[in-house]
Amino acid sequence: MALNKMLKTLAATSLLLAGSVYAQEPIAGAGIKPIAMPNFGNVSQSMLDAAGKDSKNWLHPNGSYEQTRYHPAEQINSGNVAKMRPAFVFQTGIVESMETAPLVVNGVMFLTTSYNHVYAINASTGEQYWHYKHKIGPVSTYCCGPNNKGVAISEGKLYMGTLDAKLVALDAKSGKMLWETQIADPELGYSETMAPAVADGKVLIGTNGGEYGVRGFVKAYDANSGKLIWTFHTIPEKGHEGTWAVNDATGRNMHRDIAAEKAALAKNSDFYKTLGGGVWMTPAIDRKTKTAYFVAGNPSPDLYGAERPGDNLYTNSMIAVDLDTGKYKWHFQYIAHDVWDLDAVSPVILTEAKDKSGKMIPVAIHGGKTGHIYVHDRATGNLIRFSEPMVSQEGLWTLPTAKGARMSLGANGGVEWSQMAVNPGLRLAYAANLEQPMTYHVEASGYPGGKLWLGGAFKNAPGEEQFGNVSAVDLDTGKVVWKARTDQPMIGGVLATAGNLVFAGEGNGWFKAYDAKTGKVLWQYQCGAGVNAPATSYTINGKQYIAVAAGGNSQLDFKRGNSVFVFAL
Amino acid sequence: MNFRAAVTSLFVLISLCAGAQAQDIEAGKKKAEACVACHGASGNSASGMFPTLAGQNARYLYLQLKDYKEGRRKNPMMSAVAGALEKQDMHDLAAYFAAQKQVHTGFKAEPERIKAGAAKAEESLCAMCHMGGMSGQNEIPRLAGQHPDYVMTQLKNFKARERTNDAGNMTSVAQTLSEEDMTNLAHWISSLY
Repeated sequence: MALNKMLKTLAATSLLLAGSVYAQEPIAGAGIKPIAMPNFGNVSQSMLDAAGKDSKNWLHPNGSYEQTRYHPAEQINSGNVAKMRPAFVFQTGIVESMETAPLVVNGVMFLTTSYNHVYAINASTGEQYWHYKHKIGPVSTYCCGPNNKGVAISEGKLYMGTLDAKLVALDAKSGKMLWETQIADPELGYSETMAPAVADGKVLIGTNGGEYGVRGFVKAYDANSGKLIWTFHTIPEKGHEGTWAVNDATGRNMHRDIAAEKAALAKNSDFYKTLGGGVWMTPAIDRKTKTAYFVAGNPSPDLYGAERPGDNLYTNSMIAVDLDTGKYKWHFQYIAHDVWDLDAVSPVILTEAKDKSGKMIPVAIHGGKTGHIYVHDRATGNLIRFSEPMVSQEGLWTLPTAKGARMSLGANGGVEWSQMAVNPGLRLAYAANLEQPMTYHVEASGYPGGKLWLGGAFKNAPGEEQFGNVSAVDLDTGKVVWKARTDQPMIGGVLATAGNLVFAGEGNGWFKAYDAKTGKVLWQYQCGAGVNAPATSYTINGKQYIAVAAGGNSQLDFKRGNSVFVFAL
Repeated sequence: MNFRAAVTSLFVLISLCAGAQAQDIEAGKKKAEACVACHGASGNSASGMFPTLAGQNARYLYLQLKDYKEGRRKNPMMSAVAGALEKQDMHDLAAYFAAQKQVHTGFKAEPERIKAGAAKAEESLCAMCHMGGMSGQNEIPRLAGQHPDYVMTQLKNFKARERTNDAGNMTSVAQTLSEEDMTNLAHWISSLY
């Protein structure tokens, strides 16, 4: 037994010496042997196109190219969800933020963790098939946690964006790396946490970095070879000063000093390379019109606007580009010359809604950090309507000061990156909200060469209450139909199902099922760590499952965990 | 598992953690001999005048040395030291100190100040950049367990705009921190070891 004791001491010491890399690696142990993965078939383009009606699988990070996050299975429904309980828990061993949307193909689940680990597991038992870890290079710059929002899948390959700004293709059956390509230079602040989109042999991926002074983009890579096909820059080289808009998209004055900005622009207009405009989340794709839709993030530096006069196009905008060529089709800017980091980040959803005359037309919608859901004509980008505010907006557009100026709308917004979900039959979009009053501070600062460049800071308004909601908004009228309050601000996506259910998790570990019509909490489960990731759903052998990661969140500092919870009746 | 295999796997684990920069660390160790006088053996400083470097993020250390050399950060001693370093030296030193084990400074943080500091940190959203436990990431420094005096000096220098090599982020944060707040934060940070 002395040997065992010595081994235990050695193991403990080695963990101590591992020091700060501890959280990045699973502690393997000798116990669990991975098992052989059965042949799960292929994921064809036609399967990806029909994914929105596929009750067996979950093939896209947001359910389908339209990204409605609406699952058609109704075995689990508002009548029986109270009986739902865990089917299994998969523990990844990586104790850090989890934002992954687990994909499921014919009974095989693919999920990611912080620090770019990928796992393939049996989606009904939780047994592990394989594990891949990306070798992260010496430089990775991420503002908001070492997260990953999941992989994309097409034909036999998985695609993942990495913290050191690479795109990696893995063989889905074995987990072996097929190719990797450098998307941009991480030393300049480029990094990836988003889940890519794949269509027609092209992998689309954006970039982080609006906090670092990058030039944002969406790039398309050949799905087989990894070769770059096209780049759409979210910052045009010329003309980013735009039309000098004084009001935001909802018609409220943003207190710009246009004269001062014009004078500054006359002195220097050549700052497109560091103007920001990252694209943080998966683009939506309209397969019929061959159009990709996405939203671009904030200008750099976030708070110090004097550094970057003009509207700062196309930051804080919804943008449509041609899927084949990346050519610009249209844009719509929500906030010109943003100085609050209230960027557009929650991903675009393609659905239908009534236009101003009452006719049902194809639309593109976005849940803004501003707290409104915006409904656009999908063909032109024209704003049809914006919803009632889902959150408080006291002091909106108060300019930041050196000592801090308060707005009840905090810098994480009313809707952060959290994906919304849509129940088309009910006409409702569901959003996870934050109520976080903050003070906005500004400080003059020039480009610091690849370091964090906020141009100030934001802090929680001292002594003020913070909480969250799930809001249900009628897309045809813009009215907030119901709101369910949560103890803490929410971050993490929403899932809707045909069973009249809405699923959303909270930082305190509660994962809840809401009645889609009324917002009544019908079921909840305590996962033991922040549930700050979007749930997904699938059916195997006639049994429906709901899967969600509970790993906490670094941005809001919610309790970290390492597991994916899978529930069934 | 027999004893030999256990020891072997332990050494394998250590070298894996040292990573592909084993060469940098060895080179860095040699170059770091000049640093011991102020920063202590293995970068564990005995005085709040000089920061503990052991366990600090390599990227942060590299960028600070670079900033000292290029004049973005000023300190009479460090500006002279960094002035004599080449980029490779800076990478090697950064890799070496990042790989060293941080030890407790021995400072006894006061419980009331720890509590107040934790509250102020939550309000100030420190964890958003410095991560939970103030462990830092990439170019954002690890603060956990750092000398309180050194933390105080930096906060004061940021507030007074005497230190500006972080593009004003910390100056903004420090504008609304009183000396009392800074002391509380320093105690709390020290207690995170």
